[in-house]
Amino acid sequence: MSLQNPTREHSSDWVLLNMAIRLKWLCGALGLCLAVVVGAYWYHQIVRAEHYERLAENNRLRVLRLDAPRGLIYDRSGRILVENTPTFRLMIDRSRSADLGASLAFAAEILDQEERELRIALERHRDVASEVPVLLAEDLELTQVARFEVSVPEHPEFEISISRRRLYRHSFQTAHVVGHLGEPTPAEHDREDSLAAGDLVGRSGVELLRDRLLRGNHGERIVVVDSRGRLMGEDVRRTDAEPGESVTLTIDLRLQQLAESLLADKVGAIVALDPRDGAIRAMVSSPSFDPNSFGGRLSQQDWDRIVDAPGKPLQNRAIQNTYPPGSVFKIAMVVAGLAEGLLRPEERIYCNGATRLYDRRWRCWQSGGHGLVDLRGALQHSCDIYFYRQGIKIGIETIAAYARRLGLGDRTGVELPGESEGLVPDPEWSRDHRGYPWYPGETVSVAIGQGPLLTSPLQVAVMTAAVANGGFRVRPHLLAGGGEPPEPLGLDPEVVSFVAEALANVVENGTGRSARTPVVAVAGKTGTAQVVAQATWTRSEDLPPDQADHAWFTSYAPVEAPELVVVVFVENGGRGSEAAAPLAREMHEGYFRAAAKT
Amino acid sequence: MLPPRPDPWPLVRRVRSVSWLLGGSALALSAIGLVVISSASADMSTDYEVRQSAWIALGLLVMAAAAAVDYSFLLRYAFWIYLAAVAALAAVTFFGHEAGGARSWIGIGGFGGQPSDFCKIATVLLLARHMAEAQAPVAPRGWLWTASAFVVLPVLLIALQPDMGGALMFVPMLGAMAIVAGVRLRSALIALGVAAVVAGAIWVFALQDYQKDRLSSFFRPHADPLGSGYQVRQSRIAIGSGQMLGKGYGEGTQSNLQFLPTPHTDFVFAVLGEEYGFMGVTVVLGLLLLYLGNGVRVALAARDPAGMLLVVGLLAFMAGHVLYNTAMVVGLLPITGIPLPFLSYGGSFMLFCCAATGLMIGLDIRRFVNI
Repeated sequence: MSLQNPTREHSSDWVLLNMAIRLKWLCGALGLCLAVVVGAYWYHQIVRAEHYERLAENNRLRVLRLDAPRGLIYDRSGRILVENTPTFRLMIDRSRSADLGASLAFAAEILDQEERELRIALERHRDVASEVPVLLAEDLELTQVARFEVSVPEHPEFEISISRRRLYRHSFQTAHVVGHLGEPTPAEHDREDSLAAGDLVGRSGVELLRDRLLRGNHGERIVVVDSRGRLMGEDVRRTDAEPGESVTLTIDLRLQQLAESLLADKVGAIVALDPRDGAIRAMVSSPSFDPNSFGGRLSQQDWDRIVDAPGKPLQNRAIQNTYPPGSVFKIAMVVAGLAEGLLRPEERIYCNGATRLYDRRWRCWQSGGHGLVDLRGALQHSCDIYFYRQGIKIGIETIAAYARRLGLGDRTGVELPGESEGLVPDPEWSRDHRGYPWYPGETVSVAIGQGPLLTSPLQVAVMTAAVANGGFRVRPHLLAGGGEPPEPLGLDPEVVSFVAEALANVVENGTGRSARTPVVAVAGKTGTAQVVAQATWTRSEDLPPDQADHAWFTSYAPVEAPELVVVVFVENGGRGSEAAAPLAREMHEGYFRAAAKT
Repeated sequence: MLPPRPDPWPLVRRVRSVSWLLGGSALALSAIGLVVISSASADMSTDYEVRQSAWIALGLLVMAAAAAVDYSFLLRYAFWIYLAAVAALAAVTFFGHEAGGARSWIGIGGFGGQPSDFCKIATVLLLARHMAEAQAPVAPRGWLWTASAFVVLPVLLIALQPDMGGALMFVPMLGAMAIVAGVRLRSALIALGVAAVVAGAIWVFALQDYQKDRLSSFFRPHADPLGSGYQVRQSRIAIGSGQMLGKGYGEGTQSNLQFLPTPHTDFVFAVLGEEYGFMGVTVVLGLLLLYLGNGVRVALAARDPAGMLLVVGLLAFMAGHVLYNTAMVVGLLPITGIPLPFLSYGGSFMLFCCAATGLMIGLDIRRFVNI
């Protein structure tokens, strides 16, 4: 600090002063920049805080679904009909794949599938975030699982997950009763939040009927994951899955299996139920299908193959198809005539094999005729002439009224969906639905179970049960503990017991003799329904197969205290006495032999 | 008359509040940095907070040494110091071993260090002396060009490593020093024009593809959610979800679940934002402002142009890092490797910050006297 040189000193101060001023300007600029930065933090941390909190939670938390095992289905004695079995599924985490095309090609090679199919499978999950593993293939074989597991270093995008698959233990044998699973429709997805992609729901049978109960409620794990999707620490929240409830059916597996084997290479249906409460012991429709093929995702071709297969295997012929009942309808005729006092059991009618009514020739199935027959004899021999004449006497309105009371032409109320109503025609129906009046000659046809009359095998079983149980209409049901108490039909017990005795006589001495068995006393009625109106009488055996008569046999046993109604229906099977009655005998034998053992 | 007895602690007695505030804020920031680093590196195999503690301890020694050295002595040998620094830099650039795609580390006792940080101080020293000479009544013409040349040499070497962030930080330093030194507007515009041409050339010839990606992804962070835009997005989520008060120590999900890239170094401020919220951000920015403000006070009290320019250059480096880093982690600027002074983990950068602080303190305690 010297004062010798004031000018230089002054000059230096002046320089420093100017530098200081410029420095202060710079500080101002720095302050402005810092203010912008603080503003940015304020914007993100205060103004947009919730937005970023949500994003951070999305980063950190992942919701994993805990699948609820679907409920099992049992037969009446606790034998498993439907259960679940482990299956391996291939999942792909697309975010970990370096080259999705190469990944799919690799998987296609192991799975022995077209890469295109995998691409389509992946396409379904397009809306799912790429780091969420999605389903690529199901039902992998162990060798395939092993190949994916060893290739984890090169292909970390693949994960094998173990899941459950529906197993129908008795596949074809119980198909129409337990039904099958399928993918929910978009509308069902919208309606039920609990359905996730890949879930299957009941599509038919008990699987559909009790779907909600069987499905249970899935649980949820909310877990913390790091940036690579690895699980970190404990679950944030966990709601355990509630397994689906099990369902017990009234079905008797042994009887069901027997029925299925009896219809093995035939088309038709067998229904067995308990006439006391309507519990269905067996319900078989043939041809059948394997519900296991619906357990996973079904390709369109597989689906078409099942739906369009010959004989339409998805149809449940026991309840969905209706047929002319033929002579089994004579049970309803007798009940109507006796209850209204229009038939007298001792009244005899002469049958010489044909008769002329309403300007037409009507034949009895027995071309030689039955001679003089009373009511009991008419049932025993299933004489058509007798019922032609008595039908005219009883009148179509009365016939129709009693047929409906006995359960024909009306849904039985069985729990299964898709039951057909059938048809019991009368003049009113003719006017309303056909638009022309009832021909008196049609009454003659209806009297032997032909004409527009249409019934399902289960309806015939309900009618037969009413005879077996002394005049009550049962509500057939498949769910144990289901159904309703039988309703009294208001029939004179003497009428019912007469019919019951006459039906026992049919098996003992008449057309139903081939249903007779030493095991148990059987009562029943045959039916042989014409499929097409015939100009000339042709023996059924001589008709082309698709025009051959339908064979019916309805029966119950034991005669004294009936426990089982069996209805056998064979489409285009020929005579009821030959094609249906022997099957009913085997059913009764099988059931009552087993019952005797236990 | 006997000469007055020599004062054994002539410097220490001259330490005034400015220096205490400079050193104190630096220490406070380092302490906060330690806490955040220990949270951010909790799951990492290396104990970064222990290493950083060692660096801070070493940094304090460097700070004291830098304060003890007379800056006029350093200015006198500035050219030789600069030459030595550039030589070391060149050696590393051409012979150093590669780490993380960048050739910048030289081994110092297993810790590693970057000569580019040493080069920053050397360049500031040389520029301070050079620009101070321009303040003389008969000023040398064209001093801006020579000054720029002094800067371009280390910048090119650093950019070659390649460390774009480190090279970039020389720009505010040169700018601030030139402005304070009183650059003419015409010269500045010409220099900017030349710089633009050079920058264009660098983009075309020198930039690696990943660096171009980083630069272009800045303009569209959502275009490639798992690529380079990912880092910006995750950093913003970390900061935004911290809200006002933050999630607390060790509770930052973005940083602890590895959504944030390099949470202990370049993105340490995002961790701070997540765990301590806007409050923590404000406190740290306040401390940084306190540091820079007291630095400016030292500059304003400087007794000669060289001293003032020296402080301005060091402060410009610091402010450049602070602004760029805080702006980058919140997505205002492209992501590049620029640490936050005192908070980011990193040895040689911590030593640079401490040395700069020591130099400023040394300058402050010599403001009146020639010692």
